[in-house]
Amino acid sequence: MIEAQNLCKDYALKLKEPGLKGALKGLVMPGYKTIHAVRDLSFHIDKGEIVGFIGPNGAGKSTTIKMMSGILTPTKGRVLIEGRDISKYRKEVVRNIGVVFGQRSQLNWDLRLGESFELLKHIYQIDQADFDRTLEDLDQILGIREIIDKPVRQMSLGQRVKGDLVASMIHSPGVLFLDEPTIGLDVSAKYALRKFIKEINRVRKTTVILTTHDLGDIQELCERLIIINHGVMMEDGNLSEIVDRIAPYKTLVVEYYDESAPEHPGCEMTEHDGNVAKYKFLKKDLTAAEIIADLSNIKTIKDVSIEEAGIDDIIKIAYGS
Amino acid sequence: MKKYLYVVKTQIIKSMTYEFNVYGNIVMQTIIMITSACFWKALYKGQGMVGDVDADSMLTYVVLSSLLSVLLITNVERRIETSVVKGTVATDMMKPVNIFGIYFAEDIGNILALVFQNMLPILIIGSLMVKVPLMADLRDLPLFILSAAESFLINWLMAALFGMIAFSAVNIDALIQVKKHLLRLLSGSIIPIWFFPPGVSKVLGLLPFVYIYQLPLSIYIGRGDRAQQLSQMRIQFLWLVILTGLFLYAQNRATRKVMVQGG
Repeated sequence: MIEAQNLCKDYALKLKEPGLKGALKGLVMPGYKTIHAVRDLSFHIDKGEIVGFIGPNGAGKSTTIKMMSGILTPTKGRVLIEGRDISKYRKEVVRNIGVVFGQRSQLNWDLRLGESFELLKHIYQIDQADFDRTLEDLDQILGIREIIDKPVRQMSLGQRVKGDLVASMIHSPGVLFLDEPTIGLDVSAKYALRKFIKEINRVRKTTVILTTHDLGDIQELCERLIIINHGVMMEDGNLSEIVDRIAPYKTLVVEYYDESAPEHPGCEMTEHDGNVAKYKFLKKDLTAAEIIADLSNIKTIKDVSIEEAGIDDIIKIAYGS
Repeated sequence: MKKYLYVVKTQIIKSMTYEFNVYGNIVMQTIIMITSACFWKALYKGQGMVGDVDADSMLTYVVLSSLLSVLLITNVERRIETSVVKGTVATDMMKPVNIFGIYFAEDIGNILALVFQNMLPILIIGSLMVKVPLMADLRDLPLFILSAAESFLINWLMAALFGMIAFSAVNIDALIQVKKHLLRLLSGSIIPIWFFPPGVSKVLGLLPFVYIYQLPLSIYIGRGDRAQQLSQMRIQFLWLVILTGLFLYAQNRATRKVMVQGG
């Protein structure tokens, strides 16, 4: 479905030196520095997958999404969507692509929402019956009927994002790119957005590629993660596999009746604060039950809980901080 | 084609949203018309003909120049610039359309809205305060319409070529200003170039600018004979071909350089 081959994107950055002298120097003989935003990314995405691109700010996620959706031309490498190179056949390939940017809207500020959709209907040459059906379907998920006559400039962010989601799917594309779609949204709008993504993926088999910083998005939506940092791929794989590999441990939290806490030979005590001690152990070596049994032989336990290694741990480790 | 027509229609609706915007241009064009009219009246005092044109035709020229200036309002440079600065160029690029086709359709939509919002008031003000701008010879009308249409295209193509610079340079405010004032000065929109020294007017005759304003206007006021007009229209057409060629050559190269700001 989507094939990225050795994608690279370089930017020439004009060097600006500080102060008036620097500004003058930059005017007369500007120095340039090449920024390698994306270096040699290759991956393959199948139809119907939901793939999360994650990485810290400036990692090259958005640049990658923009190259995949035909907005930026790669410096090297290419993107094939259903076998066709997007930078060569932009006009044909984008027909099968929908894009939502969390930080900018494709809706027309001065028009009513419905008028923006009408414009898209003509631009994508969708016939009236298909258009009505799609709009009806999307309305069922998102409930946009009540805002369809509202000018976009008067909408709240949540309403605008709903409008953008509908706009991105109005031509029933096979691939949907979402670049930080949940940014700035409240809980209920986030919920609606996630439901929308799950629904279109389930019903229409739409391939979804999203970048996000929201752990909830990843946990709820993505079966597969691609982690990028400094423009280089760090991880590509199934979410639970990555978790098992990068963070193969759990943490057992034990509360005692007093402040002394025994060590356990199979695990590491990572924290000891007051009556509470935390034991980190490898999932493949031990189970929590064994540790509890061992510890309660030494000392009376008041309470226990288990902390799973979560996505935030993965991200911390994968980002190398 | 149908999708571009719909863009035209949408743009007309959008142009009507901010009605207040259009008054500025009416005021400015009124000032230009009246000062130019006073200027020409003073210049022609006691003289019948200057450069083959009498005072009365010159006043027609003034009013018509203001009317034509409305047709020649282009937004494409600013449109490209703001969408590059704001990063919305990304959403233009992911539509299955030629983005310059969209920009052209938007400009047409703007102008159609301005025909009522701007041209009509300027025509009325000009007729009342300067002169009713009647055509010298109605038989020249087809030629006038053809040359005005070519003017429009030449003007738009030049604007689009300028706008393309914004794809890589981002901010082209200063360039837009320079181009605007050069066009004012060199196109004969305020002072026809036949008033310039012969050497200068010969050089300007080779540049595309005079074929934007001065050629259709001089056909309208009936300056020169048919042979002269036709030979000028040949140069105008040549410029149209050259600029179209440049435009087609540059459009894909320009969009390849696009920078998306932010995010």
